[in-house]
Amino acid sequence: MAAPVFIIAASVSAELHQAMIEARGLALTAKNARALAVRAGSKTVGFRAITDFIEELASAIISQSRVINHHAEKLSTQAVTAWHSDNAMAHFRWVEAQKPEHLASILPHINHCDKQLDALNHELQIGLRDLIDQIDESYKHIRTANLIATSSHVEAATAGDFREQLEVIADNIRKTADRIAAHLNRANRLLSQNHRGTKIAC
Amino acid sequence: MLATVLYEDGDHRWIMFARDPGKPDGIIDTNQYLIQSGKEAILLDPGGIELFAPMLSSVLKYVPAEGITKLFASHQDPDIISSLGLWDQALPNAELYSPWLWESFIRHFGMNNITYKAIPDEGMTITLGRIQLQFIPAHYLHSSGNFHVWDAKAGILMSGDVGAALEEPGAPLWVDSMERHGPKMKKFHQRWMPSDAAKHDWIRRVSALDIKIMAPQHGRLFKPPHVADFLRWFEQLPVGVAIKG
Repeated sequence: MAAPVFIIAASVSAELHQAMIEARGLALTAKNARALAVRAGSKTVGFRAITDFIEELASAIISQSRVINHHAEKLSTQAVTAWHSDNAMAHFRWVEAQKPEHLASILPHINHCDKQLDALNHELQIGLRDLIDQIDESYKHIRTANLIATSSHVEAATAGDFREQLEVIADNIRKTADRIAAHLNRANRLLSQNHRGTKIAC
Repeated sequence: MLATVLYEDGDHRWIMFARDPGKPDGIIDTNQYLIQSGKEAILLDPGGIELFAPMLSSVLKYVPAEGITKLFASHQDPDIISSLGLWDQALPNAELYSPWLWESFIRHFGMNNITYKAIPDEGMTITLGRIQLQFIPAHYLHSSGNFHVWDAKAGILMSGDVGAALEEPGAPLWVDSMERHGPKMKKFHQRWMPSDAAKHDWIRRVSALDIKIMAPQHGRLFKPPHVADFLRWFEQLPVGVAIKG
């Protein structure tokens, strides 16, 4: 049985929070790389240029993770509201089946609740699709990070005495990118459980 | 859900809802009350989530939804008011009267539409249709913010957990002997009620009322002479016993 949307969205939010923490680590790596490049002087001119890209990349990942995290939290809250309405509708349907004398008096509220549930489900479907798109977009940053890591290795090769330290930094970039990708993959898998266009299980 | 008319005088009625045969096992049986007067009605301690559907269905046999203008929650417990989130969808224009102390807690049950009317510590009187209802302080019996409902015209006191007993399903509706009923209430009162001072204050307060029916939230109801019997029994009962063990 698929997990309820509010749990999926909350879990996606948690994954993106972890991705954001990893990206902060990447920003720290960029600062270390810059300090090292300054000390290494002319031998690491190429590497110094790359550190700007790493900083920009870390900032972009942090910013996008924050947006997705916020979006997922909002979706989770909406899904809880939908779940409450769904629950209320189940109770109302039971009451309808009993046909109490004054049933007609409650029907406007039941209809209102039903419409509200439809609207919430519609909003949730749109929200989930947006979330999937945003996560797909985040993979671009991972590809960029891997390119930067490769370039860093190339630059490190010409850095003489600083080669080893710069290679450690290049490895850090790749490992961090891998960890962020793992969080994105998990978020994607969670969203695929519910997926993509079908009726939402509130 | 078994519905019993306790009092009827023109359009002024007290109806008790209890002994739901479909109630899941493991859930304490509760008495819910509806008071009607004129075109208005109030639901007293409407109950937990599990009871919502049978309660709504039962209530709609007597009164249209727009007639239920008020709800009352004597305190914050789940068997009293955890159905609030569902009533909120069914009766969006209603008002909930409940202790001021519990407002920010009770809202956790979900309340987007219903209006919270906070009852001050000293209690208050409201008008329902053509009658007046008094919310009488019963703090620490058992909850630290707690009220009972007194309808002077009908002579009925809804006494919340005071007078409550945990009994087997199918127990009679009325107390017929305090000697036999006392033991069924003893542990409940000794364990749930924490304060002798609060107990004596409540007894002093309600002794001044001309009670024709005392209607607790669990178990059987009391009529004279058993109301006075109960007050005497309660007065001599030590409460707050858990700390003595």
